[in-house]
Amino acid sequence: MKLLQNKGKQLLTITLCVIPIFLSGCWDRSEVNDLALIVGMGLDRTDEGDIELSAQIVNPKAMGGQGSSENSQSGGQPVTVKTGTGKTIFDARSKLQEKVSRRLFEGHNRIVVIGKALAERGIRQHIDFFARFPNPRLRANVFFADGKASEILKIMPNFEQDSAEVARELAELRIGMKVTTKDLLQQLASESGATALPRILVDKSDSGEELRVNGTAVFKHNQLIGQIDDALTRGLLWVTDEIETASVTLQPKDAKDYISFKLLRSSTELIPTIKNGKWKMTITITSEDDVVENETKLDMMDPKIIDKLQKQLNKRIRKRIKMVLDDVQEGMEADVFGFADAFHRKYPKQWKKAEDKWDETFPEIEVAIKSDVKIRRPGRSGGPQGVPQDKEATE
Amino acid sequence: MIWRNRRKKGKTGKQKALKPSKQEQDTLFKHITENEDQLRMIYQDCSDVIFHAFTIGGNHQALLLYIDGLSNTEEIDDSVLSPLMTATESDQEQQVDTLIKNKVAVTDTKEVHTFSDCVQAISAGKPVILADKSSTGLSLGLSKWEKRAVESPEAEKVVRGPREGFVETLSVNTSMLRRRIRSPKLKIQSIEVGRYTKTSVMITYVEGLADNTLIEEVTTRLNRIDIDGVLESGVIEEFIEDDPYSPFPQVLATERPDIVTSSLLEGRVTILVDGTPFSLVVPITLYSLLQSNEDYYRRFLMSTATRWLRYLFLVIALLLPSLYVALLTYHQEMIPTSLLISMAASREQVPFPALVEVLLMEVTFEALREAGVRLPKQVGSAVSIVGALVIGEAAVSAGIVSAPMVIVVAITGIASFTIPRYSTAFAIRMLRFPMILLAATLGLLGIMLGVITIIVHLATLRSFGVPYLSPMAPMHFYEMKDTMIRAPWWKLNKRPRLTGKYNKYRQSSGQKPDPIRGEE
Repeated sequence: MKLLQNKGKQLLTITLCVIPIFLSGCWDRSEVNDLALIVGMGLDRTDEGDIELSAQIVNPKAMGGQGSSENSQSGGQPVTVKTGTGKTIFDARSKLQEKVSRRLFEGHNRIVVIGKALAERGIRQHIDFFARFPNPRLRANVFFADGKASEILKIMPNFEQDSAEVARELAELRIGMKVTTKDLLQQLASESGATALPRILVDKSDSGEELRVNGTAVFKHNQLIGQIDDALTRGLLWVTDEIETASVTLQPKDAKDYISFKLLRSSTELIPTIKNGKWKMTITITSEDDVVENETKLDMMDPKIIDKLQKQLNKRIRKRIKMVLDDVQEGMEADVFGFADAFHRKYPKQWKKAEDKWDETFPEIEVAIKSDVKIRRPGRSGGPQGVPQDKEATE
Repeated sequence: MIWRNRRKKGKTGKQKALKPSKQEQDTLFKHITENEDQLRMIYQDCSDVIFHAFTIGGNHQALLLYIDGLSNTEEIDDSVLSPLMTATESDQEQQVDTLIKNKVAVTDTKEVHTFSDCVQAISAGKPVILADKSSTGLSLGLSKWEKRAVESPEAEKVVRGPREGFVETLSVNTSMLRRRIRSPKLKIQSIEVGRYTKTSVMITYVEGLADNTLIEEVTTRLNRIDIDGVLESGVIEEFIEDDPYSPFPQVLATERPDIVTSSLLEGRVTILVDGTPFSLVVPITLYSLLQSNEDYYRRFLMSTATRWLRYLFLVIALLLPSLYVALLTYHQEMIPTSLLISMAASREQVPFPALVEVLLMEVTFEALREAGVRLPKQVGSAVSIVGALVIGEAAVSAGIVSAPMVIVVAITGIASFTIPRYSTAFAIRMLRFPMILLAATLGLLGIMLGVITIIVHLATLRSFGVPYLSPMAPMHFYEMKDTMIRAPWWKLNKRPRLTGKYNKYRQSSGQKPDPIRGEE
């Protein structure tokens, strides 16, 4: 009898445990067809001081299409850009939602483009949304547009399905900087108080409009203070140890033609020193290159020639970095290189004292650049190609 | 209260049924006519029971009883009737009993003293001779009936391995085992189950390898069964399981003698049941259900890879549809963007939510599979799978289901067929549906909940006292050799710990083939 009662109780307990699971139903269920997939977001500032949010929304009917029936052909553009205006980003998003029949979903947002007008007024307060609202990814790439962000999103590219994908792939190639929302948040929170964002441009040509990642926007104390071009960006990447793919072309002394090198790997070390109250930074760069093109008649197997070329490469890199430092350290006085963190790590006590005066200290820091380039391989060929052996130039 | 009453009724019913059998336990009478009357009464309206009256040497009256079709009549004529009927005068001086024993040229004879013994022998196809002025009969082992030829087992095919399977006749099956294990240590104990069918059930084990308490446990559980009849070993399976409510089989049913042999050598016990080719192996673990006998015949690297493939597809068979539903309805951010977009594109025309869509397809698939099984011969299954694909294709172009869904259902279907044991595959297929419902209500959280529940259940499950998840839980590192991988034979020196602990080592170590060994 007791056993039977227990069985009954057991059954009741199990039933009571199971029912609540299903009672909740599917309250936060959302079908994919009811979602407006946002792949790119643009932030602009209107003349009235409001935020204009542009969202690039995927139109699945036009995109995949192969599975569904006739309607797929008449789907139209693969993405559409909608805008909403409000006091905050979320306010603008709510306004935007009014125009879109499907629920906005930022889970697949891949890029955030910040317009110039907004950047000039500060970006920190707006980035909070991307860190707080659960939907957007922290891995989305952030770009600066030298104009309106919505213009960037409206570009219909040739290869990819939408401009967000183009921008992401370009950032992935590491030709310019690659900054994700997470990186940006970290930069904003760092000691230096300076931030750099890759600049994205619209390239107008006969074949249509294309996007291009070119140059860097420099922010100091949350506000845009300047932009640097492509060449300087490369120098910046050398300093911040972010350079991954690089090609260097130089003209050897006493030669008419050029030699191109491909960067294999590189590492940069920032070594801060404080001597007699004098702050000094040593940038040590060690990199390895391959020869990929040799227009000259020089023999790439000759150690003497290689030695000369290495020296020339070192000089080139030092010059590149010097240019950046001149422009950004002395011109803009913005520490986008991460010097502040390096000093903080090595000299925490001195840093504590000098922390407030960093803006004044930074432009005064003496920077020494040490570059050590090694040319590893002459490429697939040894000497110059298509030249008789006895005519090869030796020196 | 209702339950209580029912139980009581059941008990009284059992007692009543047992009573009449007591009355039958009468010893045989001295006079043949009385015996004949009594037996004719027992076999009233049994037209297939032959009563053949004859005289031994023209003097003693005798009666031969057998069931038509169960006994070898030619042998009866040649070895029993003709020597007895032509008995000479000198033979007459002997006692009738001794006379019969001396004259009958049959190897397997047994004295019977009671009517119930008589009936039992006759039912088993053994003719019984009763003579006048003797209260002892003689049963003759001359049973012979039509049996199916030994064939390759349909449900457990192999590429490499023995092709013979058990048949419905018990003696053929035991002979197959005896041929494989020639040691007298192979013990085959017989018991009867079933009030009416009196099915003989054989408990088979290797003495010295199987745990004595296990043999006792199997015997007790089998003796406890009190039913009308045993139609198939599946009936017995349900009576001897440790957890009758579990969806997972705790007994391995196989029709392959090689599987039974290897199980016996690992110290397991096999139950052979008359009338079915399926024998039961106990105790088993989840991992032994996921292994195929062919694993041990193929090269070990291949077997290891196959095992991992099976484990992977076990998870797919259980979780793929529910993962699809969970990701599509709750966790869209977890699907790669381009994949999500193409999924969304294909779902654009679909009128149902993902849950309805998946249930629709899964139920259709199960129905097609079930229908395929009932179709004549195994060709039916191929037909039904083709049918499913056609239906899937049509459903997609009609916009009722999306193309990815058809892929998911198809992969899940294939995955469930990679599990070598049909009963295990069925358990997994069945559990898929609650998993889908959990995924549709709670998303990935629900799936985790379901998986945890299943694992907890599996961990509590036991098969004849052996933990179902061993050697994973409890962990026995040595046995990973035969679960996670299939180590080469010369490395598998020990028997599974929980069944073969009495005789740990099954072979001597250091048998790895090596050129140096040849020079010894």
